[in-house]
Amino acid sequence: MSAPTTTPGQGNPTPEAPAATPGPPAARRRTLATRWRRDRALVLMTLPAIALLAVFAYLPMLGNIAAFQYYSPYSGFFNSPFVGLDNFARVFTNPAFLNAVLNTLMITAFQLVFFFPVPIALALLLNSVISPRVRVFIQSVVYLPHFFSWVLVVTIFQQILGGAGLISQTLRENGYSGFDLMTNPDTFLLLITLQAVWKDAGWGIIIFLAALSTVDPALHEAAASDGAGRWRRMWHITLPALRPVVILLLILRLGDSLTVGFEQLILQRDAVGAEVSEVVDTFVYYQGVVYGDWSFAAAAGLAKGLVSLVLVLGANKLAHVFGEAGVYQR
Amino acid sequence: MSTHRPAPARIVLNRRTLFGAAGVGLSALAVPGLSACGGGTAAPTEQVAVSTEVLPRHIPITIAEPDIPGVNGSVPGYTSLPTELVRSVTTPPGDGRTIRAMTPLWGTIPPADGNQYYEAVNEMIGNTIEFQITDGNVYADKLATVLASPRDVPDWVQIPQWNFPSRFGSEIVGNVFADLTPYLAGDAVSKYPNLANIPTDAWRSCVFNGKLYGIPYPDTPIRDALYYRDDLLAERGIDPQVGSAEELLALAKEINDPGANRWAAEDLWSAIAIAFGVPPKWKVVDGRLVHRVETEEYRAALDFNRQMFEAGVVHPDAVAAQESEAKARFQSGRSLLLADGVGGWHEALRDNLANNPDYSQKAFAPFAGQGGQPILWRGPGASMFSFVKQTDDTSMIEQILASADVLAAPFGTEEFSVINNGVEGVHYTPGPNGVPQPTELAAVELQPTYIFLADPPVVEAKVQYPGFVEEYCSWMADAAQYLQEPPLYGVQITEPPQYASLAQPFEDLEADIPRGRKSLDDLDAAVENWRSSGGEELRAFYQGLLDQQ
Amino acid sequence: MSAQIGDQTAPAAVTETARRTGVGPGAPQRHDDLPPTRRRRRRANGRPVWEEDPHPVGLGLKGVVLALVVLVVAFPLYTVVVTSFSTQAETLRAGGLVVIPGELTLEAYRQILSGGVVTRAAVVSVGITVVGTALSMLVSVLAAYGLSRPGSLLHTPLLFVFLITMFFSAGLIPSYLLVSGLGLIDSYWALILPTAVSAFNILILRNFFMGIDNAILDAARIDGAGEWRILLRIVMPLSGAVLAVVALFYGVGYFNAFFNAVLYINDNAKWPLQLVLRSYVLQGASLPGGADPGQAASGAVAGMPIKMAVVVLATVPILLVYPFVQRHFTKGVIFGAIKG
Repeated sequence: MSAPTTTPGQGNPTPEAPAATPGPPAARRRTLATRWRRDRALVLMTLPAIALLAVFAYLPMLGNIAAFQYYSPYSGFFNSPFVGLDNFARVFTNPAFLNAVLNTLMITAFQLVFFFPVPIALALLLNSVISPRVRVFIQSVVYLPHFFSWVLVVTIFQQILGGAGLISQTLRENGYSGFDLMTNPDTFLLLITLQAVWKDAGWGIIIFLAALSTVDPALHEAAASDGAGRWRRMWHITLPALRPVVILLLILRLGDSLTVGFEQLILQRDAVGAEVSEVVDTFVYYQGVVYGDWSFAAAAGLAKGLVSLVLVLGANKLAHVFGEAGVYQR
Repeated sequence: MSTHRPAPARIVLNRRTLFGAAGVGLSALAVPGLSACGGGTAAPTEQVAVSTEVLPRHIPITIAEPDIPGVNGSVPGYTSLPTELVRSVTTPPGDGRTIRAMTPLWGTIPPADGNQYYEAVNEMIGNTIEFQITDGNVYADKLATVLASPRDVPDWVQIPQWNFPSRFGSEIVGNVFADLTPYLAGDAVSKYPNLANIPTDAWRSCVFNGKLYGIPYPDTPIRDALYYRDDLLAERGIDPQVGSAEELLALAKEINDPGANRWAAEDLWSAIAIAFGVPPKWKVVDGRLVHRVETEEYRAALDFNRQMFEAGVVHPDAVAAQESEAKARFQSGRSLLLADGVGGWHEALRDNLANNPDYSQKAFAPFAGQGGQPILWRGPGASMFSFVKQTDDTSMIEQILASADVLAAPFGTEEFSVINNGVEGVHYTPGPNGVPQPTELAAVELQPTYIFLADPPVVEAKVQYPGFVEEYCSWMADAAQYLQEPPLYGVQITEPPQYASLAQPFEDLEADIPRGRKSLDDLDAAVENWRSSGGEELRAFYQGLLDQQ
Repeated sequence: MSAQIGDQTAPAAVTETARRTGVGPGAPQRHDDLPPTRRRRRRANGRPVWEEDPHPVGLGLKGVVLALVVLVVAFPLYTVVVTSFSTQAETLRAGGLVVIPGELTLEAYRQILSGGVVTRAAVVSVGITVVGTALSMLVSVLAAYGLSRPGSLLHTPLLFVFLITMFFSAGLIPSYLLVSGLGLIDSYWALILPTAVSAFNILILRNFFMGIDNAILDAARIDGAGEWRILLRIVMPLSGAVLAVVALFYGVGYFNAFFNAVLYINDNAKWPLQLVLRSYVLQGASLPGGADPGQAASGAVAGMPIKMAVVVLATVPILLVYPFVQRHFTKGVIFGAIKG
């Protein structure tokens, strides 16, 4: 069979990886001055964005000093007394905190498996639809729920899957007993994942569609004429086009492991109980924000950010191990 | 759809349970230098006794005799509207200045330019009130930021009790807002007769650290009711009489009919807590303070609510804590019992009578959960206040108070009519029995904004709903006989902030126990934990305040 | 916007460069010289000639899955729209969202759109969205390209400046104090500048920029083109799809934002659309404390129809925008410019 040998990318899943790493070793040994001359345009280009971040992200971030204070809004950051790491101690020794972290990680893990791939699969499916009109129609419909508030999404689920919902009521009218998916703590993980898929999968496909649109049909054509079948072409042409953006999103999602749908969970907290629905963000919200304990909230936020950063570094390292470029190189 | 906040019910609960202790955090926070912040130690650092000297003298005005007089603080009712309106403040007291005022709004944002309602009210005041309106659901966030930046605080700020940022009483009020004691205490208030007409109970809640700071938005002493759809029950020949929790459960079981998509009840927790006499915060037993969560009443109420849920009489959407649609379910007849605020009664009539002229709901007379004599804990005289920004310009303070005096003109005055109904021919046309019929423009321009700055004592005169005024006022007059004042009634207390967040386990238990996810043993454990992780110190804090009285 | 220029017809020079330097790395050389017209050739059913006919079972399955997906999403959408056109009485009968249309009316829309407040707010929102998106795209494209060459001077530290903002945020109060300190309270800039730079969007752009075949860029460099010129003439025209997507991300972000307006805009005449629409949902709502909002009787109530009309009004502009974004997803803009 000749097809495999001529199919692009065959044999080595990452033929491009070296090209993405910095040029020849000699380049790194160049003097600073030459590098500045070569790269100054690049550095300059980042400056407007960095200036905006410096003022509107980093400057107010200094307020996180409250994490080390017994902060009072009226006394302000300058006059509130410092308490060292006490606020962090309060966060980490709170028994509810551990439970919240566990719940969060469980939800993240579950959604990585059952939510993350859905937009990719949908994008591939949509991409294979030939008629552009059908494609646009489907795309436009499925991405709309992203713009619904969580309140509305939960209401819609309640009216369909709740104990007095459309399905239960129809069952009851026909002599069966109803069911209630909305208040069952055991299936809560499934429920919130369903909701997340319903709301955001359609929105998530956009970025993958953009990536797919960069694939040159000539590659498909060439492979096809060499006898590569549908699946072979998908494996060797289509999927590699998605790989960089999938890996980027995966790394960022891993970094965000401690963040899961805050509003979605708070809205359904009483329905299933805090035991399964308490996550890091809701914990901080109730302990810190609701009762105006800004120091507590700041400490929790800093700790969370630190963990995220470490996770991103770790995920990035892992990507390198697998021969991927990751977000950044060493 | 509101997105930022959890359902309002949650906020209400938070407000009802403003207590707690911050477990582990307590020791962590007990560092030197904190007592100056009013926190860190259990010893009371604030002056609590409301000396009568700072309170304005109550000088009642009667413009129109009510048809149903108030009893023990209940709302007086008017079964017909006065034909002749009296002008209360004959000359506009304002000197034409602009006063910036910040209020929440639960309604549509009205246009500021060319708003004839604003123009009419401002003309009566003689000043221009320039509103900075914020979506009521996110008002707490707005306040938290603005109050942290005193230079951004406008001249006049409305703050609901449930939006007080932490340390409000101990640090913010005294530093940001003007002390109104010299202007209003005792006889000084007589300069503003309509403010003097506001009952003393409402003023009590405006006192922080021994000084008078706020202008109250007077409220009723009874805020909650347990409603039933008497129209739908009558169709089935049921005229419910409920004298105890047991009878309530029996009734619920009788009227529950899931097959017909009709459940007996919403989550009745707030009404059940009232029926069992659960105190708002503390109760004195044998001279010792007992916290709400420690009481037998609380335990019994939770257990009863568990029985309600277990019996399957609670609507599944309520089991799923979809509180925001509870009223819609009740009003559409999918559930027949609802715990709601007293204001919800006429709102339901407003929303339903046009489409369903037979619509009716009634409130149960108070009953005691375990039978016998019910206890209703008297609500504070006000739970929303407006504050005046600190300024060296005393004329500004006087101008704001004079403006408030116009806004507080009681029922039966021209001012009251304009503030509530707008301008005749523009915002309403007089209908049968003199009931104003709102025009289309009213929906756009007339939103409740001024009333949050200052408001007269509550009366009920919604004669457009046949029989409502009689029903409502006699229900409340009857209920008012059971009113009792809780300890430290009406006193503004700023708890040391580290105690705040241990209320959380109980809010969760109030959801978990009825739904069978936690048991009363878990409650006992939580109470034990509460005691050992700060509850006792909180008790000592309150005991200290009580001893001062 | 150059995003639009880019995908219509790629500059001939670029196509030429691409062809000269070889199609995407792994692509077999011998197909490089296929006549360009060949890929335009399609069969009657729109399928290119080289593509085999799909297996009927596979095709059927695909159709079923897609139909199911659309149905699952469209049914609730449909109930939302129907509810928005229903009378208040109808929604009470249905006990929530209306599934079977009964009495229909435009009342909810009439109520919201009368009075001119909404139209004014829509103008504000569109203005903020357009200006904000333009600014965001400008700084983001520059930053993304500046960060697209690993190994360049200060590359990693600069990248981390962006990365860190994704995980550490500022609290409500410090952010407010900053905006207030800059004198931006009541300025539209307060709704743009604090959210102008999204590290996430920059990473996405950078990811696509890095996917562009280095050979093309090197060829341009050999021809003496500077970085600015390469970005403008080669990278941007090749990146129509991702530019459109990121512009959509930014645009939607600006259009949907309301919370910053709550904090920073005191003048109610400057409220953006989302904030005004939210206020319609609150009409006639009971106060949180159960307090009675007095006798005030404007007669306006936010029933289910109003709430759903608000959802529809807030979503329609986004629905209208999508086809414009989608246009940039045209497949195979140029030969092998992007690494496969």
